[in-house]
Amino acid sequence: MTNFYTLTRTELVEAAKEFKFIWLTLFFVILGITQPLITKYMDVILKNVGGADGITIDPNRPVPSSAEILLSTISGQFNQIGLIILIISFMGLIAADRNSGMQDFILTRPVSLRSYLLSKLMGNWVISMFSISIGAAVSYGYTIFLFGSFSFSNFLLFLLLYSLWILFVVSLAILISTFVKSPILIAVTTIAASIFFILIKGFNHFLFQLSPGGILNLAENQLLSVHDLNYFSIATCLAFILLNLSWTNRNLKKS
Amino acid sequence: MITVEKLHKTIKKRKILSDVTFSIAEGECVGLLGQNGAGKTTLIKCMTGILQHEQGDITFHSAPIVQHKKNIGYLSQNTDFKPWMTCKESLLFFGKLSGMDKEFLQENISAVLEEVGLKDKGNYKVEQLSGGMKQRLGIAQAILHQPLLLILDEPVSALDPIGRNEVKKLIARLKKRTTIIISTHILDDASEFCDRYIIIKNGRIVGNINDEFQKSDRKQILVKTGNVPQTSEALKSSEVERVEWLSPNTFLLTGAEELDLKKVINDFAAKEMDITSIAFYERGIEEIFLEMVSDT
Repeated sequence: MTNFYTLTRTELVEAAKEFKFIWLTLFFVILGITQPLITKYMDVILKNVGGADGITIDPNRPVPSSAEILLSTISGQFNQIGLIILIISFMGLIAADRNSGMQDFILTRPVSLRSYLLSKLMGNWVISMFSISIGAAVSYGYTIFLFGSFSFSNFLLFLLLYSLWILFVVSLAILISTFVKSPILIAVTTIAASIFFILIKGFNHFLFQLSPGGILNLAENQLLSVHDLNYFSIATCLAFILLNLSWTNRNLKKS
Repeated sequence: MITVEKLHKTIKKRKILSDVTFSIAEGECVGLLGQNGAGKTTLIKCMTGILQHEQGDITFHSAPIVQHKKNIGYLSQNTDFKPWMTCKESLLFFGKLSGMDKEFLQENISAVLEEVGLKDKGNYKVEQLSGGMKQRLGIAQAILHQPLLLILDEPVSALDPIGRNEVKKLIARLKKRTTIIISTHILDDASEFCDRYIIIKNGRIVGNINDEFQKSDRKQILVKTGNVPQTSEALKSSEVERVEWLSPNTFLLTGAEELDLKKVINDFAAKEMDITSIAFYERGIEEIFLEMVSDT
Protein backbone atom coordinates (compact mmCIF):
# COMPACT_ATOMS: atom_id res chain seq x y z
CA MET A 1 0.00 0.00 0.00
CA THR A 2 2.90 2.36 0.82
CA ASN A 3 4.53 1.55 -2.49
CA PHE A 4 1.26 2.12 -4.33
CA TYR A 5 0.96 5.51 -2.64
CA THR A 6 4.59 6.45 -3.44
CA LEU A 7 4.25 5.43 -7.08
CA THR A 8 0.86 7.13 -7.58
CA ARG A 9 2.12 10.30 -5.94
CA THR A 10 5.12 10.32 -8.30
CA GLU A 11 2.77 9.98 -11.30
CA LEU A 12 0.75 12.96 -10.08
CA VAL A 13 3.81 15.09 -9.28
CA GLU A 14 5.21 14.29 -12.71
CA ALA A 15 1.95 15.40 -14.34
CA ALA A 16 2.07 18.62 -12.32
CA LYS A 17 5.70 19.27 -13.31
CA GLU A 18 4.77 18.75 -16.97
CA PHE A 19 1.80 21.16 -16.51
CA LYS A 20 -0.51 18.36 -17.62
CA PHE A 21 -3.11 19.35 -15.04
CA ILE A 22 -3.20 22.84 -16.52
CA TRP A 23 -3.15 22.27 -20.27
CA LEU A 24 -5.39 19.21 -20.22
CA THR A 25 -7.91 21.03 -18.01
CA LEU A 26 -7.82 24.13 -20.23
CA PHE A 27 -8.38 21.92 -23.23
CA PHE A 28 -11.46 20.26 -21.70
CA VAL A 29 -12.79 23.62 -20.48
CA ILE A 30 -12.57 24.98 -24.04
CA LEU A 31 -14.23 21.82 -25.36
CA GLY A 32 -16.88 22.11 -22.67
CA ILE A 33 -17.89 25.67 -23.42
CA THR A 34 -17.70 25.42 -27.21
CA GLN A 35 -20.87 23.37 -27.70
CA PRO A 36 -23.30 25.46 -25.60
CA LEU A 37 -21.88 28.74 -26.90
CA ILE A 38 -21.95 27.73 -30.57
CA THR A 39 -25.45 26.30 -30.28
CA LYS A 40 -26.78 29.40 -28.53
CA TYR A 41 -25.08 32.03 -30.63
CA MET A 42 -24.82 30.30 -34.01
CA ASP A 43 -26.68 33.07 -35.83
CA VAL A 44 -24.61 35.83 -34.14
CA ILE A 45 -21.37 34.01 -34.94
CA LEU A 46 -22.34 33.52 -38.58
CA LYS A 47 -23.39 37.14 -38.86
CA ASN A 48 -20.13 38.46 -37.43
CA VAL A 49 -17.71 35.98 -38.92
CA GLY A 50 -19.21 36.32 -42.37
CA GLY A 51 -19.53 33.72 -45.10
CA ALA A 52 -23.16 33.22 -44.13
CA ASP A 53 -24.53 34.37 -47.49
CA GLY A 54 -27.36 32.14 -48.55
CA ILE A 55 -27.66 30.51 -45.17
CA THR A 56 -30.94 31.01 -43.43
CA ILE A 57 -31.32 30.05 -39.81
CA ASP A 58 -34.88 29.19 -38.96
CA PRO A 59 -35.90 31.66 -36.24
CA ASN A 60 -38.54 29.18 -35.11
CA ARG A 61 -36.13 26.29 -34.74
CA PRO A 62 -36.70 24.34 -31.51
CA VAL A 63 -34.37 25.38 -28.69
CA PRO A 64 -32.35 22.35 -27.65
CA SER A 65 -32.73 21.17 -24.08
CA SER A 66 -29.89 21.30 -21.53
CA ALA A 67 -29.73 17.52 -21.67
CA GLU A 68 -29.21 17.55 -25.44
CA ILE A 69 -26.47 20.16 -25.17
CA LEU A 70 -24.68 18.22 -22.43
CA LEU A 71 -25.03 15.03 -24.43
CA SER A 72 -23.55 16.56 -27.56
CA THR A 73 -20.73 18.09 -25.52
CA ILE A 74 -19.80 14.77 -23.98
CA SER A 75 -20.51 12.40 -26.88
CA GLY A 76 -19.45 14.79 -29.57
CA GLN A 77 -16.58 16.73 -28.03
CA PHE A 78 -15.23 14.90 -24.98
CA ASN A 79 -15.58 11.41 -26.37
CA GLN A 80 -14.06 12.19 -29.74
CA ILE A 81 -11.50 15.01 -29.80
CA GLY A 82 -11.15 14.90 -26.01
CA LEU A 83 -10.53 11.16 -25.96
CA ILE A 84 -7.88 11.39 -28.68
CA ILE A 85 -5.96 14.14 -26.83
CA LEU A 86 -6.34 12.26 -23.55
CA ILE A 87 -4.89 9.07 -25.02
CA ILE A 88 -2.02 11.01 -26.61
CA SER A 89 -1.31 12.54 -23.19
CA PHE A 90 -0.74 9.15 -21.60
CA MET A 91 0.61 7.15 -24.54
CA GLY A 92 4.04 6.86 -22.92
CA LEU A 93 2.85 5.84 -19.49
CA ILE A 94 4.52 2.41 -19.55
CA ALA A 95 6.71 2.73 -22.64
CA ALA A 96 8.70 5.65 -21.20
CA ASP A 97 9.43 3.77 -17.97
CA ARG A 98 10.37 0.69 -19.96
CA ASN A 99 12.69 2.47 -22.37
CA SER A 100 14.43 4.48 -19.67
CA GLY A 101 15.03 1.53 -17.35
CA MET A 102 12.83 3.05 -14.61
CA GLN A 103 10.50 0.08 -14.75
CA ASP A 104 13.39 -2.30 -14.05
CA PHE A 105 14.66 -0.13 -11.19
CA ILE A 106 11.18 -0.11 -9.64
CA LEU A 107 10.44 -3.78 -10.10
CA THR A 108 13.72 -4.93 -8.58
CA ARG A 109 12.56 -3.28 -5.34
CA PRO A 110 10.11 -5.08 -3.10
CA VAL A 111 7.32 -3.66 -5.27
CA SER A 112 4.66 -5.94 -6.68
CA LEU A 113 3.79 -5.67 -10.34
CA ARG A 114 0.19 -5.17 -9.20
CA SER A 115 1.12 -2.04 -7.20
CA TYR A 116 3.07 -0.69 -10.14
CA LEU A 117 0.24 -1.21 -12.63
CA LEU A 118 -2.44 0.07 -10.26
CA SER A 119 -0.41 3.23 -9.63
CA LYS A 120 -0.17 3.84 -13.37
CA LEU A 121 -3.90 3.25 -13.73
CA MET A 122 -4.86 5.36 -10.74
CA GLY A 123 -2.43 8.21 -11.48
CA ASN A 124 -3.52 8.64 -15.08
CA TRP A 125 -7.20 8.18 -14.23
CA VAL A 126 -7.00 10.91 -11.57
CA ILE A 127 -5.24 13.29 -13.99
CA SER A 128 -7.83 12.57 -16.71
CA MET A 129 -10.84 12.85 -14.45
CA PHE A 130 -9.54 16.04 -12.85
CA SER A 131 -9.43 17.72 -16.28
CA ILE A 132 -12.64 16.14 -17.57
CA SER A 133 -14.57 16.99 -14.40
CA ILE A 134 -13.58 20.65 -14.49
CA GLY A 135 -14.29 20.83 -18.22
CA ALA A 136 -17.65 19.11 -17.72
CA ALA A 137 -18.50 21.33 -14.73
CA VAL A 138 -17.81 24.47 -16.74
CA SER A 139 -19.88 23.05 -19.58
CA TYR A 140 -22.67 22.25 -17.10
CA GLY A 141 -22.56 25.84 -15.79
CA TYR A 142 -22.74 27.36 -19.27
CA THR A 143 -25.48 24.95 -20.32
CA ILE A 144 -27.81 25.65 -17.42
CA PHE A 145 -27.12 29.39 -17.74
CA LEU A 146 -27.94 29.44 -21.44
CA PHE A 147 -30.47 26.61 -21.82
CA GLY A 148 -32.12 26.15 -18.46
CA SER A 149 -31.72 23.89 -15.49
CA PHE A 150 -30.59 20.29 -15.43
CA SER A 151 -30.49 17.86 -12.53
CA PHE A 152 -27.11 18.16 -10.80
CA SER A 153 -27.38 14.66 -9.34
CA ASN A 154 -27.92 13.22 -12.82
CA PHE A 155 -24.89 15.16 -14.01
CA LEU A 156 -22.80 13.76 -11.15
CA LEU A 157 -24.05 10.25 -11.83
CA PHE A 158 -23.14 10.75 -15.47
CA LEU A 159 -19.60 11.82 -14.50
CA LEU A 160 -19.24 8.86 -12.17
CA LEU A 161 -20.23 6.39 -14.89
CA TYR A 162 -18.17 8.19 -17.52
CA SER A 163 -15.14 7.91 -15.22
CA LEU A 164 -15.44 4.11 -15.49
CA TRP A 165 -15.14 4.43 -19.28
CA ILE A 166 -12.01 6.57 -18.81
CA LEU A 167 -10.64 3.99 -16.36
CA PHE A 168 -11.15 1.36 -19.05
CA VAL A 169 -9.38 3.50 -21.69
CA VAL A 170 -6.37 4.01 -19.37
CA SER A 171 -6.20 0.26 -18.68
CA LEU A 172 -6.39 -0.39 -22.43
CA ALA A 173 -3.47 1.99 -23.06
CA ILE A 174 -1.48 0.19 -20.35
CA LEU A 175 -2.23 -3.19 -21.92
CA ILE A 176 -1.32 -2.04 -25.43
CA SER A 177 1.96 -0.64 -24.03
CA THR A 178 3.07 -4.20 -23.30
CA PHE A 179 2.66 -5.22 -26.94
CA VAL A 180 3.95 -2.11 -28.69
CA LYS A 181 7.06 -0.10 -27.81
CA SER A 182 6.52 3.06 -29.85
CA PRO A 183 4.41 5.65 -27.97
CA ILE A 184 2.81 6.89 -31.22
CA LEU A 185 1.77 3.37 -32.15
CA ILE A 186 0.40 2.86 -28.63
CA ALA A 187 -1.71 6.01 -29.01
CA VAL A 188 -2.98 5.08 -32.49
CA THR A 189 -3.87 1.52 -31.42
CA THR A 190 -5.60 2.70 -28.22
CA ILE A 191 -7.58 5.34 -30.11
CA ALA A 192 -8.59 2.79 -32.76
CA ALA A 193 -9.62 0.22 -30.13
CA SER A 194 -11.59 2.81 -28.12
CA ILE A 195 -13.39 4.07 -31.23
CA PHE A 196 -14.17 0.46 -32.12
CA PHE A 197 -15.86 -0.03 -28.72
CA ILE A 198 -17.87 3.16 -29.28
CA LEU A 199 -18.84 2.27 -32.84
CA ILE A 200 -20.07 -1.23 -31.99
CA LYS A 201 -23.25 0.51 -30.86
CA GLY A 202 -24.18 1.22 -34.47
CA PHE A 203 -23.60 -2.37 -35.59
CA ASN A 204 -24.95 -4.53 -32.85
CA HIS A 205 -26.61 -3.13 -29.75
CA PHE A 206 -26.43 -6.43 -27.85
CA LEU A 207 -22.69 -6.71 -28.47
CA PHE A 208 -22.33 -3.07 -27.45
CA GLN A 209 -23.95 -3.82 -24.10
CA LEU A 210 -21.52 -6.70 -23.64
CA SER A 211 -18.55 -4.49 -24.50
CA PRO A 212 -16.89 -1.97 -22.17
CA GLY A 213 -18.48 0.75 -24.34
CA GLY A 214 -21.85 -0.22 -22.86
CA ILE A 215 -21.04 1.99 -19.88
CA LEU A 216 -21.23 5.01 -22.20
CA ASN A 217 -24.84 4.20 -23.01
CA LEU A 218 -25.60 4.00 -19.33
CA ALA A 219 -23.81 7.31 -18.66
CA GLU A 220 -25.62 9.08 -21.50
CA ASN A 221 -28.94 7.77 -20.19
CA GLN A 222 -28.30 9.78 -17.03
CA LEU A 223 -28.11 12.94 -19.12
CA LEU A 224 -31.31 12.01 -20.92
CA SER A 225 -32.89 11.30 -17.53
CA VAL A 226 -33.68 7.75 -18.58
CA HIS A 227 -33.78 5.99 -15.26
CA ASP A 228 -31.89 2.96 -16.34
CA LEU A 229 -29.18 1.77 -14.04
CA ASN A 230 -28.03 -1.26 -15.92
CA TYR A 231 -25.63 -2.78 -13.44
CA PHE A 232 -24.63 -5.30 -16.05
CA SER A 233 -22.81 -2.57 -18.03
CA ILE A 234 -20.97 -1.48 -14.88
CA ALA A 235 -19.93 -5.06 -14.16
CA THR A 236 -18.87 -5.60 -17.79
CA CYS A 237 -16.72 -2.47 -17.79
CA LEU A 238 -15.08 -3.42 -14.49
CA ALA A 239 -14.51 -6.95 -15.77
CA PHE A 240 -12.77 -5.60 -18.88
CA ILE A 241 -10.58 -3.33 -16.73
CA LEU A 242 -9.56 -6.32 -14.59
CA LEU A 243 -8.96 -8.38 -17.72
CA ASN A 244 -6.71 -5.67 -19.17
CA LEU A 245 -4.71 -5.45 -15.95
CA SER A 246 -4.34 -9.22 -15.60
CA TRP A 247 -3.22 -9.48 -19.20
CA THR A 248 -0.71 -6.65 -18.69
CA ASN A 249 0.55 -8.32 -15.53
CA ARG A 250 1.05 -11.57 -17.42
CA ASN A 251 2.82 -9.88 -20.35
CA LEU A 252 5.22 -7.94 -18.15
CA LYS A 253 6.16 -11.04 -16.18
CA LYS A 254 6.80 -13.03 -19.37
CA SER A 255 8.83 -10.58 -21.41
CA MET B 1 24.91 -17.39 -1.79
CA ILE B 2 23.00 -17.40 -5.08
CA THR B 3 22.24 -20.55 -7.02
CA VAL B 4 20.71 -20.82 -10.45
CA GLU B 5 19.63 -24.31 -11.32
CA LYS B 6 18.41 -25.65 -14.66
CA LEU B 7 16.89 -22.35 -15.65
CA HIS B 8 14.82 -22.18 -18.82
CA LYS B 9 13.22 -19.08 -20.25
CA THR B 10 11.24 -18.62 -23.47
CA ILE B 11 10.09 -15.25 -24.80
CA LYS B 12 7.61 -15.13 -27.69
CA LYS B 13 8.18 -18.82 -28.44
CA ARG B 14 11.95 -18.22 -28.70
CA LYS B 15 14.16 -20.10 -26.28
CA ILE B 16 16.31 -17.45 -24.61
CA LEU B 17 17.83 -19.49 -21.77
CA SER B 18 18.40 -23.24 -21.74
CA ASP B 19 19.46 -25.30 -18.77
CA VAL B 20 21.43 -22.50 -17.11
CA THR B 21 23.11 -23.68 -13.92
CA PHE B 22 25.72 -21.94 -11.80
CA SER B 23 26.29 -20.62 -8.30
CA ILE B 24 28.03 -17.61 -6.85
CA ALA B 25 29.63 -17.48 -3.42
CA GLU B 26 29.57 -14.55 -1.02
CA GLY B 27 32.22 -11.94 -1.77
CA GLU B 28 32.83 -13.06 -5.35
CA CYS B 29 32.87 -10.68 -8.29
CA VAL B 30 31.61 -12.60 -11.29
CA GLY B 31 31.59 -11.44 -14.89
CA LEU B 32 28.68 -12.59 -17.00
CA LEU B 33 30.08 -12.54 -20.50
CA GLY B 34 28.40 -13.05 -23.80
CA GLN B 35 27.81 -11.52 -27.17
CA ASN B 36 24.88 -9.19 -27.75
CA GLY B 37 21.70 -11.24 -27.67
CA ALA B 38 23.34 -14.16 -25.84
CA GLY B 39 20.77 -13.97 -23.04
CA LYS B 40 22.70 -12.04 -20.36
CA THR B 41 20.03 -9.42 -19.71
CA THR B 42 17.24 -12.00 -19.68
CA LEU B 43 19.22 -14.08 -17.17
CA ILE B 44 19.73 -11.00 -15.00
CA LYS B 45 16.06 -10.05 -15.24
CA CYS B 46 15.13 -13.56 -14.09
CA MET B 47 17.65 -13.30 -11.25
CA THR B 48 16.22 -9.99 -10.09
CA GLY B 49 12.65 -11.25 -10.28
CA ILE B 50 11.62 -8.84 -13.07
CA LEU B 51 10.91 -11.77 -15.40
CA GLN B 52 9.30 -15.04 -14.54
CA HIS B 53 11.03 -18.21 -15.72
CA GLU B 54 9.26 -21.35 -16.82
CA GLN B 55 11.54 -23.97 -15.37
CA GLY B 56 14.36 -24.13 -12.85
CA ASP B 57 15.16 -22.48 -9.55
CA ILE B 58 16.92 -19.31 -8.53
CA THR B 59 17.68 -19.26 -4.83
CA PHE B 60 19.38 -16.73 -2.60
CA HIS B 61 20.60 -18.17 0.69
CA SER B 62 18.43 -21.23 -0.07
CA ALA B 63 15.18 -19.23 -0.44
CA PRO B 64 13.51 -18.19 -3.71
CA ILE B 65 15.15 -15.00 -4.94
CA VAL B 66 11.86 -13.06 -5.13
CA GLN B 67 11.76 -13.18 -1.33
CA HIS B 68 15.12 -11.42 -1.21
CA LYS B 69 14.50 -8.35 -3.35
CA LYS B 70 15.57 -6.16 -0.43
CA ASN B 71 19.01 -7.75 -0.59
CA ILE B 72 19.58 -7.14 -4.28
CA GLY B 73 20.83 -3.96 -5.89
CA TYR B 74 20.39 -3.67 -9.62
CA LEU B 75 21.72 -1.34 -12.28
CA SER B 76 19.86 -1.69 -15.52
CA GLN B 77 21.37 -1.51 -19.00
CA ASN B 78 19.45 1.70 -19.74
CA THR B 79 19.98 4.08 -16.87
CA ASP B 80 17.67 7.02 -16.87
CA PHE B 81 15.56 8.53 -14.16
CA LYS B 82 12.70 10.95 -13.99
CA PRO B 83 14.42 14.01 -15.50
CA TRP B 84 12.53 16.45 -13.27
CA MET B 85 13.73 14.81 -10.06
CA THR B 86 16.92 15.90 -8.33
CA CYS B 87 19.53 13.28 -7.42
CA LYS B 88 18.33 13.36 -3.80
CA GLU B 89 14.67 13.04 -4.80
CA SER B 90 15.49 10.08 -7.05
CA LEU B 91 17.25 8.29 -4.21
CA LEU B 92 14.45 9.17 -1.79
CA PHE B 93 11.95 7.67 -4.23
CA PHE B 94 13.88 4.40 -4.56
CA GLY B 95 14.61 4.27 -0.84
CA LYS B 96 10.91 4.55 -0.04
CA LEU B 97 10.15 1.75 -2.51
CA SER B 98 12.76 -0.37 -0.75
CA GLY B 99 10.88 0.16 2.50
CA MET B 100 13.72 2.07 4.16
CA ASP B 101 13.12 3.97 7.34
CA LYS B 102 12.85 7.71 6.59
CA GLU B 103 15.53 8.86 9.01
CA PHE B 104 17.97 6.16 7.99
CA LEU B 105 17.21 6.94 4.37
CA GLN B 106 18.00 10.65 4.74
CA GLU B 107 21.35 9.84 6.37
CA ASN B 108 22.15 7.16 3.83
CA ILE B 109 21.39 9.35 0.82
CA SER B 110 24.19 11.77 1.77
CA ALA B 111 26.61 8.90 2.41
CA VAL B 112 25.78 7.17 -0.87
CA LEU B 113 26.06 10.38 -2.90
CA GLU B 114 29.47 10.90 -1.38
CA GLU B 115 30.44 7.32 -2.13
CA VAL B 116 29.59 7.69 -5.83
CA GLY B 117 31.19 11.13 -6.06
CA LEU B 118 27.97 13.11 -6.46
CA LYS B 119 27.96 14.78 -3.05
CA ASP B 120 27.81 18.30 -4.46
CA LYS B 121 25.26 17.29 -7.14
CA GLY B 122 22.51 16.22 -4.73
CA ASN B 123 20.24 19.10 -5.70
CA TYR B 124 20.97 18.86 -9.41
CA LYS B 125 18.13 17.67 -11.59
CA VAL B 126 18.78 14.39 -13.39
CA GLU B 127 18.46 16.16 -16.75
CA GLN B 128 21.52 18.26 -15.80
CA LEU B 129 23.77 15.22 -15.27
CA SER B 130 26.26 13.80 -17.78
CA GLY B 131 26.12 10.15 -18.88
CA GLY B 132 28.81 9.15 -16.38
CA MET B 133 27.05 10.97 -13.54
CA LYS B 134 23.73 9.29 -14.40
CA GLN B 135 25.46 5.93 -14.34
CA ARG B 136 26.95 6.74 -10.93
CA LEU B 137 23.50 7.80 -9.74
CA GLY B 138 22.28 4.45 -11.08
CA ILE B 139 24.87 2.71 -8.93
CA ALA B 140 23.85 4.94 -5.99
CA GLN B 141 20.24 3.74 -6.22
CA ALA B 142 21.51 0.16 -6.46
CA ILE B 143 23.61 0.39 -3.27
CA LEU B 144 21.31 2.73 -1.33
CA HIS B 145 19.58 -0.05 0.60
CA GLN B 146 22.93 -1.76 1.32
CA PRO B 147 22.24 -4.92 -0.68
CA LEU B 148 24.18 -8.13 -0.22
CA LEU B 149 24.24 -8.74 -3.96
CA LEU B 150 24.85 -6.12 -6.62
CA ILE B 151 23.91 -6.88 -10.22
CA LEU B 152 25.27 -4.48 -12.82
CA ASP B 153 24.06 -4.84 -16.39
CA GLU B 154 26.53 -3.29 -18.84
CA PRO B 155 27.65 -0.63 -16.34
CA VAL B 156 30.23 1.03 -18.57
CA SER B 157 29.44 0.15 -22.16
CA ALA B 158 27.56 3.34 -23.00
CA LEU B 159 30.06 5.71 -21.40
CA ASP B 160 32.93 7.78 -22.75
CA PRO B 161 36.48 7.00 -21.47
CA ILE B 162 36.21 9.47 -18.58
CA GLY B 163 32.81 8.16 -17.50
CA ARG B 164 34.06 4.59 -17.80
CA ASN B 165 37.04 5.34 -15.64
CA GLU B 166 34.87 6.94 -12.93
CA VAL B 167 32.46 4.00 -12.84
CA LYS B 168 35.25 1.41 -12.91
CA LYS B 169 36.92 3.02 -9.88
CA LEU B 170 33.60 2.93 -8.07
CA ILE B 171 33.02 -0.75 -8.87
CA ALA B 172 36.53 -1.59 -7.67
CA ARG B 173 35.69 0.05 -4.31
CA LEU B 174 32.32 -1.73 -4.04
CA LYS B 175 33.94 -5.07 -4.80
CA LYS B 176 35.65 -4.98 -1.41
CA ARG B 177 32.37 -5.25 0.48
CA THR B 178 29.67 -6.67 -1.80
CA THR B 179 29.09 -9.69 -3.98
CA ILE B 180 28.91 -8.42 -7.54
CA ILE B 181 27.68 -9.81 -10.84
CA ILE B 182 28.70 -7.73 -13.85
CA SER B 183 27.22 -8.39 -17.23
CA THR B 184 29.32 -7.02 -20.04
CA HIS B 185 30.71 -7.63 -23.47
CA ILE B 186 33.71 -5.37 -22.85
CA LEU B 187 36.15 -7.99 -21.69
CA ASP B 188 39.01 -5.70 -20.74
CA ASP B 189 36.75 -3.99 -18.21
CA ALA B 190 35.56 -7.31 -16.81
CA SER B 191 39.12 -8.53 -16.36
CA GLU B 192 39.88 -5.55 -14.11
CA PHE B 193 37.62 -6.65 -11.30
CA CYS B 194 36.20 -10.12 -11.89
CA ASP B 195 37.41 -13.20 -10.01
CA ARG B 196 35.43 -15.52 -12.20
CA TYR B 197 33.66 -15.48 -15.54
CA ILE B 198 30.50 -17.18 -16.65
CA ILE B 199 30.35 -17.28 -20.43
CA ILE B 200 26.97 -17.52 -22.06
CA LYS B 201 26.28 -18.32 -25.68
CA ASN B 202 22.85 -18.67 -27.26
CA GLY B 203 21.28 -18.90 -23.81
CA ARG B 204 23.55 -21.68 -22.58
CA ILE B 205 26.50 -21.58 -20.21
CA VAL B 206 29.56 -22.53 -22.25
CA GLY B 207 32.23 -21.59 -19.73
CA ASN B 208 32.64 -21.06 -16.02
CA ILE B 209 36.24 -20.05 -15.53
CA ASN B 210 38.38 -18.40 -12.91
CA ASP B 211 41.89 -16.95 -12.67
CA GLU B 212 43.29 -20.32 -11.73
CA PHE B 213 42.01 -21.79 -14.96
CA GLN B 214 43.92 -19.11 -16.85
CA LYS B 215 47.14 -19.80 -14.93
CA SER B 216 46.93 -23.58 -15.07
CA ASP B 217 46.74 -23.62 -18.83
CA ARG B 218 50.50 -24.16 -19.29
CA LYS B 219 50.51 -25.34 -22.84
CA GLN B 220 52.12 -22.26 -24.29
CA ILE B 221 55.46 -20.50 -23.67
CA LEU B 222 56.30 -17.02 -24.93
CA VAL B 223 59.98 -16.52 -25.78
CA LYS B 224 61.96 -13.38 -26.68
CA THR B 225 65.45 -13.85 -28.06
CA GLY B 226 68.35 -11.46 -28.44
CA ASN B 227 70.40 -13.22 -31.12
CA VAL B 228 69.41 -14.36 -34.60
CA PRO B 229 66.41 -16.62 -34.20
CA GLN B 230 66.57 -20.27 -35.07
CA THR B 231 64.29 -21.80 -37.67
CA SER B 232 60.99 -23.20 -36.47
CA GLU B 233 62.12 -26.77 -37.07
CA ALA B 234 65.18 -26.27 -34.88
CA LEU B 235 63.00 -25.00 -32.05
CA LYS B 236 60.67 -27.98 -32.05
CA SER B 237 61.14 -30.85 -29.64
CA SER B 238 59.15 -33.89 -28.61
CA GLU B 239 56.89 -31.68 -26.38
CA VAL B 240 56.72 -28.60 -28.62
CA GLU B 241 54.15 -29.19 -31.30
CA ARG B 242 54.01 -25.80 -32.95
CA VAL B 243 56.11 -22.60 -33.19
CA GLU B 244 54.39 -19.33 -34.02
CA TRP B 245 56.48 -16.25 -34.83
CA LEU B 246 54.96 -13.07 -33.39
CA SER B 247 57.88 -10.83 -34.44
CA PRO B 248 61.42 -11.53 -35.76
CA ASN B 249 62.61 -11.97 -32.16
CA THR B 250 59.50 -13.29 -30.44
CA PHE B 251 57.81 -16.64 -30.81
CA LEU B 252 55.21 -18.76 -29.09
CA LEU B 253 55.74 -22.43 -28.39
CA THR B 254 52.66 -24.63 -28.14
CA GLY B 255 52.63 -28.14 -26.75
CA ALA B 256 50.01 -30.84 -26.95
CA GLU B 257 50.32 -31.24 -23.18
CA GLU B 258 51.61 -28.94 -20.43
CA LEU B 259 55.15 -27.80 -21.17
CA ASP B 260 58.07 -28.03 -18.77
CA LEU B 261 59.54 -24.52 -18.63
CA LYS B 262 62.83 -25.68 -17.07
CA LYS B 263 63.37 -28.25 -19.80
CA VAL B 264 62.66 -25.71 -22.54
CA ILE B 265 65.17 -23.27 -21.01
CA ASN B 266 67.81 -26.02 -20.86
CA ASP B 267 67.12 -27.01 -24.49
CA PHE B 268 67.58 -23.42 -25.65
CA ALA B 269 70.73 -23.02 -23.56
CA ALA B 270 72.11 -26.11 -25.25
CA LYS B 271 71.35 -24.50 -28.62
CA GLU B 272 73.24 -21.38 -27.44
CA MET B 273 70.25 -19.16 -27.81
CA ASP B 274 70.29 -15.74 -26.15
CA ILE B 275 66.97 -15.71 -24.29
CA THR B 276 65.88 -12.26 -23.14
CA SER B 277 62.64 -13.41 -21.59
CA ILE B 278 60.72 -16.65 -21.29
CA ALA B 279 57.45 -17.34 -19.47
CA PHE B 280 54.25 -19.29 -19.69
CA TYR B 281 51.87 -17.49 -21.95
CA GLU B 282 48.79 -16.51 -20.01
CA ARG B 283 45.78 -16.29 -22.22
CA GLY B 284 43.64 -13.27 -21.53
CA ILE B 285 39.95 -13.56 -20.91
CA GLU B 286 39.30 -12.19 -24.37
CA GLU B 287 41.13 -15.07 -26.00
CA ILE B 288 39.34 -17.64 -23.86
CA PHE B 289 36.02 -15.96 -24.51
CA LEU B 290 36.52 -15.91 -28.28
CA GLU B 291 37.53 -19.55 -28.20
CA MET B 292 34.42 -20.51 -26.25
CA VAL B 293 31.89 -18.54 -28.26
CA SER B 294 33.37 -19.22 -31.69
CA ASP B 295 31.26 -21.45 -33.91
CA THR B 296 34.19 -23.34 -35.38
